[in-house]
Formats: sequence, structure tokens, C-alpha cells
Amino acid sequence: MTTTAYRSRVETTGAGFGGLVRAELTKLVTVPRWLLTLAAAVLLSVLVAGLAALGAGQDNSGGDGGGPPVAHNPLEPFQDRGHFVHRELTGDGDLIVRVDSQEGGGWAKAGLMIRAAEEPGADYAAVMVTPEHGVRFKSGTGTDLAGSSAASPTWLRLTLTGTTVTALESPDGINWTGVGTVELPGLPAKTLAGLFVAVPDEVVVTRQFGTESISGNTVETTAVFGSLAFTGDLAPEWGEREHPTGPAVTDDRTGYTVSGTAVTVTGTGDLGPDMFSPDATRMTLTSVLIGLCAVISLAVLFITAEYRRGMIRTSFLVSPARGRVLLAKAIVIGGAGFAAGLLAALGSFALASAGGVVPPLPDLFAWPVLRALIGTGVMVAAAAILALAVGSLIRHSAVAIALVLLALLVPQVAASGLPLSAANWVERLTPAAGFAVQQTVARYDVAIGPEAGLAVLCAYAAAAMAFALWRQKRRDA
Amino acid sequence: MEATIEVRGLHKRFGPTVAVDDLSFTVPPGQVTGFVGPNGAGKSTTMRAIVGLDRPDRGTALVGGRPYRDLRAPLREIGVMLDASAIHPGRRARNHLLWMARANGLPASRVDEVIELVGLGSAAHRPAGGYSLGMCQRLGIAAALLGDPPVLMLDEPVNGLDPEGIRWIRGLLRSLAAEGRAVLVSSHLMSELEGSADHLLVIGRGRLVADTGVRELLASASGDRVELRTDQRREAMAVLTAAGATVAVTDAETLVVAELTAARIVELLTGSGVAFSGIAEHRATLEEAYMELTRDAVEFRALAGEAS
Repeated sequence: MTTTAYRSRVETTGAGFGGLVRAELTKLVTVPRWLLTLAAAVLLSVLVAGLAALGAGQDNSGGDGGGPPVAHNPLEPFQDRGHFVHRELTGDGDLIVRVDSQEGGGWAKAGLMIRAAEEPGADYAAVMVTPEHGVRFKSGTGTDLAGSSAASPTWLRLTLTGTTVTALESPDGINWTGVGTVELPGLPAKTLAGLFVAVPDEVVVTRQFGTESISGNTVETTAVFGSLAFTGDLAPEWGEREHPTGPAVTDDRTGYTVSGTAVTVTGTGDLGPDMFSPDATRMTLTSVLIGLCAVISLAVLFITAEYRRGMIRTSFLVSPARGRVLLAKAIVIGGAGFAAGLLAALGSFALASAGGVVPPLPDLFAWPVLRALIGTGVMVAAAAILALAVGSLIRHSAVAIALVLLALLVPQVAASGLPLSAANWVERLTPAAGFAVQQTVARYDVAIGPEAGLAVLCAYAAAAMAFALWRQKRRDA
Repeated sequence: MEATIEVRGLHKRFGPTVAVDDLSFTVPPGQVTGFVGPNGAGKSTTMRAIVGLDRPDRGTALVGGRPYRDLRAPLREIGVMLDASAIHPGRRARNHLLWMARANGLPASRVDEVIELVGLGSAAHRPAGGYSLGMCQRLGIAAALLGDPPVLMLDEPVNGLDPEGIRWIRGLLRSLAAEGRAVLVSSHLMSELEGSADHLLVIGRGRLVADTGVRELLASASGDRVELRTDQRREAMAVLTAAGATVAVTDAETLVVAELTAARIVELLTGSGVAFSGIAEHRATLEEAYMELTRDAVEFRALAGEAS
């Protein structure tokens, strides 16, 4: 019998990896339930963020203990407080003082300051001594230079030339060492020059599962300054800026006394980063957790549904290179996760901004905010890929979904009930570290940086994928 | 390279159970080859090994001269239907074919062609979850034909089809083979292959029991037996057994006689005055031939089952 060999008459184009990705995308979008899940992931997240914004707007209308807003930039919360006793300086000047003694704890500050105005957030430069952390030079919210480790009594000096402020220190008032220099282009011709004291509030953080309460007890600091020598065009009268106290404070002992070249200043409030300010962006983006859970379930089903129905065999028939099937799936579900996460984050942020939450949200285009929004997309994508890999390894939908949700959510819940040091390690080492990408503000409880945290989650996803690929090649389908 | 399936020395065990034991065969082009054996004989394992779903412990399986894993667009090389109900129930049938086509870079127009070819037409836009077993089989065959492959391998394709569907698939398989394709069709019922298979691979306990043409098998199973129709059954049996024949009763009026030629039987019966209404060479059915072939294998299996 002679037969001519049959040849396929159907042309193939792009049977490579691109074709596989298209095939997996077709799979994803042709199950209506899955598309609904993705849409619901975005809509529910945004909806919850909107409801939360509405609630927050009503609850927090009281504001911050009656005081004026302290942070001029919500992304870099800064306490520009403390007690400042000053004289008006016109043009250049040279301030020298000896800090004789100070009390108020290790981070109490006493020294010299030149600032543009009394208002918090105005340009300033200050040199100070602390009981336990040496001499420091501060300006704005970002400049914080360390000098020697000297404590009082010690000499401090601040000179203004044009718009340049230079800080120096000396153990004896004769031999001066520079601490730092800063350029303040916005400094007006008339500035305020004088002495200041500052001290951090005593903050008590009570953490319980899921909640935290922060209460502050005002701490007083008193410093005695001597050998005051201010040169320049100085107004004779002294002015005073004190840290505004709430209605709870009844016996206000803050103030100053001048006797010759000696001045005693007593005050409250700190000059430095506010590590306890709420991270409004992160709080708003918490709602994406709902979408995240939905995407994780979808990502697991994206592979386990194939195992349950035996369809995985069809997938491997169509593409005998099994690793490529899983990789194509990872690309598709990762892309879907990124899109859903980014949309949920953008929608939540936009709705919360429009709803006027207190504290107000920062500008969308500030880098920490953009990083948090885009990072949320990447986080959801990485979680989806992690879920896909776990689904591929376990092949059982409910177990795989539970496992991934536990890995992501339990550290979060457990951490809020643990001591801070233990909580930090939990948030550094578990996949939940990925949530760090939503941080926009440096806070006392920050366990890991945004990029590093996201990298930890991505590393988990990559490791799980590698293991899933390795296992898949060795098992019968 | 000629488009065929070649299996050489295939061996696969699952734990202590040997599923396929040193199996070798070639599926020739231009024919429908039946792959027959009792349930659990190793048919599915062999088919899964051919397409790389199971990793054989020893031996090779080639499709068109190459291992399945090396095929770039496998749908164009071999059409496979293993489990027709392995479809996501929420996905429309057409979309199920569409993702397969995309994965191998086949045009979407081909999807509509195969849908028409298997007669799914309007049903293709319904979710596959509502499909009957017969419709699933048709969808599975459509998937196998997607790449217009020169080799087809279908596991129990007749399963779940109605009589009209069975007639349809027989015609389809024959026409596909007539175009020069190699067609391998498995079944645990030999009768399903009657009238469609040209060649048979009979497998029992993972071993090849027979690799033979259907015509040759029938001829050998029919042997030299003669079918005799008579209403004087007892008398006829007495006469014939006395002459050394082996006689089997198949129904009230029919006897199957071995060890004697038809001429000798006529002579004996007329000599003894036994009337008969018909005499013909016995034609075995494929089922009978198959039962004979696999009897040993099945018996051994039953014994082994008791022993363990």
C-alpha cells in the first residue's frame, strides 16, 4: 500500500512564547466569572476607601489638640516646636553663647537659632547641644548634622553672612570648630536671632491587635545660657515664641529670664522629625487589601482549576514545554494583578482625596505617593504570582488560597499585637513586607523601607515560582 | 519523515504496578488503527506517554520521528483527544478552541472551520459547562483537528455518542485515514471498532497481545469452522461428534462445527438422514476474535487480583 504522507495545511505564525502568553490571556478573559472577580477587586477597594474617607472626615474633625498644623509637608512630618527667645536681626550677625546646663532627658536641645519668622515651617538654622547626643546642626526638615559629642557646658556660635548660616562649637570659647553650613536663599533681610530649647514629648504607644493608640505627655526642659554675645544690627527688645499648649495644660511654667549675659529658658515641644504622624496615604491604600484577596483567589484558581478539570493536560499538549506554560500564566496573572492593584490604588486615593480626609492626603505626583500607588500595583502582581506558584505546587484551590492569604495577612495582624521589635522582624521577613511599599512617611514603627519591603515579597514570589517550575518538570501531569 | 506514531520498548510503572511493559508498535499512515484492550490494560498510559504527559521509565515514543517535547507547534503534528470533558465549564466552547489555536499560532478562522466540521455550530457560543458528553466528545475531536495534523490519537472517541454520532465518527475516522493520516483510536470494546478500524493493536496487562490487520484477525478467529443451521440439533450433534468434530451450540438452531470440512459435514448428515436448512463458513465477529485473544490476559489478571 502506498500512501503519500499527509501534511498540515494550516499555517502557524508565532507559535513561540508570545503565542503562549496570548493563549493564557485568552483563558483569563474568556471565563466571565474571572473578569467579574477582577472588576470587583478594583471596585470594592475603591468603594471601601471612599466609605473610610467619609467616616474619617466626621470622626477627626477635632484636629490636633487645638494647635496649629505643625507639618507643612504631610510626607515629611516635622515638629518645628520648642521655645524660642529672640531679637530681631537686620543683615549679617554673629551669635555666641555658652550653654551652662540643661535638663529634660537625653534628647533635650538647647542652643542658638536664626529663623525667617516665628511660624512653624519657616526657614531656620540652629546649632544645639544635647545631654546624650552631642552637638547638632539642624535646618529645614532634612539637614541634621552631628558635631562633637560634647555636652554642656560648651560654647556654640551661629553666624549669618548674606543668606549663609554657619554653625561652630568650642569647648572654651577660643578655639572654634565648624559643625555645618547651610544656604537659606529665602531668608529675609530682617530675621529672628536668639536662643531656643526643645525636647521631645514622652510618647506612649499602646498596640493591640489591629489598633494602636499614641498618647503624648508634655516634657519640660530648662537650659541656662551664659556669656551671651550677639553682634550685628539687633533690636533691643526680646520676643518669645512658645510651643502652643493645649487646654489641658494649666500651670504653664515655660518662659525666660534675662539677667545680664545669662538667660534661663524653659520650654516644651521638639524640633525634629515627627515619627508619630499618621501616614494618610498608607491608611487610604489599606482598602486595596480587599482587592488583593480577590486577586489572590483568582491567581490560585487560574492554575488549580486546570488541575481539577484535567485541563492542564490540554495545556501541556498544546505546549509540551511545561515551564513556559507556567511562565506565561505568571506574566498574564501578574499583569492582571498589576492593573487591578494600580487601578484600585489610584481609585482609592482619588476618591479619598475628593472626600477630603483628615489628615489631608499629599499631592498625587509626589514621589513617595507615586511610589506607593505604582508599588501597590507591583505588590498585587507579586502576590498574584506567588499565589499562582503556590497553586501550581499544591493543586488544591482552597488550601492554596488559605496559605497565601495567611502568609500575607497574618503577619500584619499578628505584628500589631507583638512588641515593636518582634513586630519589626515579622514585617521584614514575611511576604507581608510587601505592604511597606505603601509607606509614604517615616514613622516610629517602620520596619523596612518601601523598596526593600517590595523586594522581599518579590523574592518570595520568585522563589515560589522557581520551586514550582522545578517540581512541575518532575511530576506526571 | 513519515507521519506516524512509533513506540519502542516503552515501560512505565506506578509504584509496584507495571502499567506498560516493554511495548513496541508503529501506527501506519493511511489507516485507522484500533488500540484495544480491557480497562486498565495500559492504553491511556501509553497514549499519555506518547504525548509526554507521563514520563516513561524506559523506552521512547516518537511522533513523526521526534519526541513530543521537541514539537514546536504540536497541534499541527498530532491531534490528541484524551479526556474530552476536561474543559472549564465557564468558558464558551469556541473560546476553548481559541486559546489552543493562539498557543500554537493558528489562525482564529481555523477555529470556526473545525466547529463546523464536528457539527457544533450554534452550540459553540454556549458555555461548555452545559455540554452533554456527546457534545464534549465532538468538541474534543474539534480540538484534535485544529491544526489539521497528519496524525490523530483519540482515546475512546465513541464513548457517549448516540448512534447517529457513532456513525458520524466512523465516517470521519475513515475519511481522515483516507487522506493519508495515521489514526490511532483506543477502545475497550472491540465492537465499537467494527467497521472502522483497518489494523488492530491489542494490549493486555501492558503488553502487546496482537499487532494485526483486522481481516487477518477475523480469518484466523473464524478458523476452519462451519456454521450449521438445523432443527434436528441433537441428531446432528451425535453424528458429527461421532465423526470426531467439536461442536458448539450457539442458539436453538445453530451449531458451530470445528475439525470437519463443510463437504464432509454435508456428506455425514445426508448419510445419516439428518435434515439441515443451511451450512456456511463461520464468520467470527471482531468481538469474538478479541475475546479469544485477550482471554489469557484477563484470566491472569483475575488470578493476580485474587492472590494479592
